[in-house]
Amino acid sequence: MISSFVPGLIMIITSFLLPTIPQYFRHPAMLLSVGLSALSLFNGYGTFLEWDILGLNLILYQSDSLTLPFAIIFHIAAILVIIFSWHSKNLMEHMATLAYAGSAIGALHAGDFFSLFIWWEATALTSVFIVFAGNTNVAKDAAMRYLIIQVSSGVLLLIGACLMLYQTGNHNLAVLDLKTNFGIFIFIAFGIKAAFPLLNGWLQDSYPESSVTGTVALSAFTTKLAIYALARTFPGTDSLIWIGAIMTAFPVFFAVIENDLRRVLSFSLNNQLGFMVVGIGIGTELSLNGTVAHAFVHIIYKALLFMSMGAVLYRAGTTKASELGGLYKYMPFTTIFCIIGAMSISAFPLFSGFVAKSLIMSSLGGMGMVLIYFILFFASAGVLEHSGIKIPYFAFFAHERKNKVKEAPINMLIAMGIAAFLCIAIGVFPKYLYQILPYAVEYQPYTLDHVISQLQLLVFAIIAFLFLVKFKLYPSEIRSTVLNSDWFYRKMLPGIGKPLFKKIGLLTDSLYKNLGLSFKQVLSKSYKFSNLSYIKVTTPSFAGTILISILFIMLVIVLV
Amino acid sequence: MKKNDLKSMGKSFTKYILIIGALLILLDFTFHRHEYFSFAEIYGFPAFFGFVSFVFIVMLGKWLRKFLMRKEDYYDQ
Repeated sequence: MISSFVPGLIMIITSFLLPTIPQYFRHPAMLLSVGLSALSLFNGYGTFLEWDILGLNLILYQSDSLTLPFAIIFHIAAILVIIFSWHSKNLMEHMATLAYAGSAIGALHAGDFFSLFIWWEATALTSVFIVFAGNTNVAKDAAMRYLIIQVSSGVLLLIGACLMLYQTGNHNLAVLDLKTNFGIFIFIAFGIKAAFPLLNGWLQDSYPESSVTGTVALSAFTTKLAIYALARTFPGTDSLIWIGAIMTAFPVFFAVIENDLRRVLSFSLNNQLGFMVVGIGIGTELSLNGTVAHAFVHIIYKALLFMSMGAVLYRAGTTKASELGGLYKYMPFTTIFCIIGAMSISAFPLFSGFVAKSLIMSSLGGMGMVLIYFILFFASAGVLEHSGIKIPYFAFFAHERKNKVKEAPINMLIAMGIAAFLCIAIGVFPKYLYQILPYAVEYQPYTLDHVISQLQLLVFAIIAFLFLVKFKLYPSEIRSTVLNSDWFYRKMLPGIGKPLFKKIGLLTDSLYKNLGLSFKQVLSKSYKFSNLSYIKVTTPSFAGTILISILFIMLVIVLV
Repeated sequence: MKKNDLKSMGKSFTKYILIIGALLILLDFTFHRHEYFSFAEIYGFPAFFGFVSFVFIVMLGKWLRKFLMRKEDYYDQ
């Protein structure tokens, strides 16, 4: 019976029940709910639940070959996050995490744009509490910005869905193009969550500010849900190829100079999304398989990397590269797991990144897209730089450490161990991953040409690193803020807006003062006339003016 | 004593990486490496590309600090 529920719903229900469950049983209950939700993975393909409401037919639960791989990996990610956070007693964060994962899984199974919208906003509203859980003033501010942007994405999606329904009479998920206005709205809505160039600021702003465990959860769902949505609605959209290529290349430079290693990983996440977006843009069976495979393995190794940095934050109290180093002695297991994650994301042969990225590179090569191919090849060297070398090097090596720290708690090690095992297992036995991809494609990643080519690239990039360090050309880590596209709304707009509003405020204030005075004069005359001496007229402030205007507008709306 | 640990690790790591690098280049001469684009089939092309890309990324990143780097409390001001 439970398997005919909308997948993920049981997790959301459990999350609301968590406060009633004793602390000791919360994590088992969370795991159980993920297990029960995962039963839906065996339901096969088809439409299982529809709901007619207000003359709309909502498809709440459908499944096909594109949903299945995402659903599998979302469940795995949820399990990893729960194990990783086993030591934590933060109830709000647990509730938010479980509901967030559940919403993301629910979103995968939506069959129409309105159902998708509901889940889309649900992931925003639940995940904002995870950012909040960072529990610093910076995190709280970042959470508010995060919420505004995520909800805006949802609103754009809703506008797109309404326009589509109005113009075509249809609101089911379908392949769209950018020639229609609703297509553009939906494209931008997805683009915000997929962290397109210039729409990416929220990601690097909020993820690194979350808690030790929160960032792991955040890294898995929102952006990959957007990748899924793009793959479903915009496969073969040419502009995605360029958008994706820019996404792979640009974050690389930011990651080089960023000091906070969790922010470096957020730039790296952005770069990885670029590879997936290129795959969607090409739109062939091979490339779409590549996108799905890449999303699948990426969730695991990115979670692994964020977990290792979470463990570092938990034990050493910071993830700033300028203050870390030498942890390999005290956290040997975390070091090994981090290196496995780093080798996976760098796409070393026998690690999961290699078998997934190869699909996208091969589809580019097969189509003769030489420029994009080499941008991605170049970006691969960039991935090695920031995720492959910088993360493990500055956290665990770089220089000797004076203060002792403890190894990560056992639950963290277990979660990292599982993720590390999956990274290698998928890399060594890629056929199991290929079997669950949307299209049946015969593909052999381990050809001599390919392995040698990739190894040459990676090994000589490492040699370049050693060369730069040896000759002291490698930039030292500096405590700093690196400007990103969130600068536009964190500095530029307030920079223009604040003085502007101040001026408008002064203007309206003086206007009101004059009006108030004349009003007063009229009144004073009138209460002289009526002798109502208790009427007192004060000059309203700017805030008062706004309040009165809002009340007036509301009144008008109600009356109309 | 402690200082030597990291240094010696670094040294042996460098040694092995250089050996592997040399082997990979030598391997290129033993067979014809098929690529999607013919110019990439030149001996040691991926190695050269990897090395140059890496140096370029780091150097350009370093240069971009001039424009993108602010104080740590930049947004709090």
